[in-house]
Amino acid sequence: MTPRPLSLLCELTYRCNLQCPYCYNPLALQAYRDELSSDEWERVLRQAAELGVVQAHFSGGEPTLRRDLPSLVAAAARFGLYSNLITQGTFLDDALLDALLEKGLDHVQISIQAPEAELADRIAGTEAHEKKIEAIARVRQREVALTLNCVLHRLNHDTIADAIAFAEREGIARLELANVQFYGWAYRNRAALMPTLEQVRRGEAIVAAARERLRGRMEIVYVLPDYFGEYPKPCMNGWGNQFLTVTPNGSVLPCPAAAAIESLHFENVRDRTLAQIWNESPAFERYRGTEWMPEPCRSCDRREIDWGGCRCQAYLLTGDAGATDPACSLSPAHDVVVALREGAENLEPVARRA
Amino acid sequence: MDASQRPRFGKGVKLRHDPGGAAMLLVPEGALELNAPAAAALELVDGERTLAQIVEAVVERFEVAPAQAQREIDELFDRLAERGFLR
Repeated sequence: MTPRPLSLLCELTYRCNLQCPYCYNPLALQAYRDELSSDEWERVLRQAAELGVVQAHFSGGEPTLRRDLPSLVAAAARFGLYSNLITQGTFLDDALLDALLEKGLDHVQISIQAPEAELADRIAGTEAHEKKIEAIARVRQREVALTLNCVLHRLNHDTIADAIAFAEREGIARLELANVQFYGWAYRNRAALMPTLEQVRRGEAIVAAARERLRGRMEIVYVLPDYFGEYPKPCMNGWGNQFLTVTPNGSVLPCPAAAAIESLHFENVRDRTLAQIWNESPAFERYRGTEWMPEPCRSCDRREIDWGGCRCQAYLLTGDAGATDPACSLSPAHDVVVALREGAENLEPVARRA
Repeated sequence: MDASQRPRFGKGVKLRHDPGGAAMLLVPEGALELNAPAAAALELVDGERTLAQIVEAVVERFEVAPAQAQREIDELFDRLAERGFLR
């Protein structure tokens, strides 16, 4: 039986005024300028709710660049979906925030690039930090849940303790410290962004101590670094299992990074319904469940824990999306990951741009 | 969580019932599946009822042993409170 999707990631646009080198968006940003209209997004939200989805995440690029964002949040609420805005916050002024809340927005995630302005703005490629601080304060003043997010990489990994202190000062109840995942621009910049083993180990200790100290006051979500673990991440909790992503131009993906897999054809909501694509499209069927798995996954006790890791990462690192994720220490290609992990360099990363 | 405490939901937390009857707790960036007694307990969370009253109501409705219901609801509520989903 086809599983039920619970979560829909709506990538409303890939446009963004920041140039973060760790962005997972595809390099070919220009290919996504033919964005879905408001009516098309509303149809996607309705079809998602009918399919069993319970949460809609509005992301990008920068989703607040879409003028119709409040009406899309209203549509999500109308169809019974929990709505989450994933934003970098630089456009989140009083008027927009109030409009979103009035339409029923349930949760806001605001990202910072680092806990202090100079480094943060250097990573973002523009002056943005001060505006984010203002946006965080605005959200805090209202009755809506907030998560503060900071993506960790070689350039800011040493500021983890400061990031936690910053979150405490700002009264944040939920902090996500997410080690960079190497897709899109981040994959291109992986040598410059790869943390050192020392940074990773130190970071883990700081997070563990802070979790203990802040128990019950602040939840710290720590996304482990991909290339440093014994086992791979259970990407999307399995391909075509719980999550789907719709890109700005309507392409439907099992994982936000899947467009990179050139051997698969992803169907579009302009041509077929979300249900048809989820239930029938060969791209979703291809790596669903465990039948597709090669060894060592096929006979592994962890096959329904890790789900073979990440298909996109397997493709990027081995050229075969059906291989065991090389991030797994049991993968025959694991030496590729070891080489990348040890190949961190003090390079200036390439800024994301269209 | 103390038996006399009157729990309420944290920000961004919503109890949801599918048309099919399945219950889920929707939380920031996630969804937790709930069994029937857990859903029944959370339905009674309103900031006015005490934890003791909630346990009592669940015991009555599901005809479970009070000690077992007490333990399971305590565990669930403590776990949710630790993550800020109940306060």
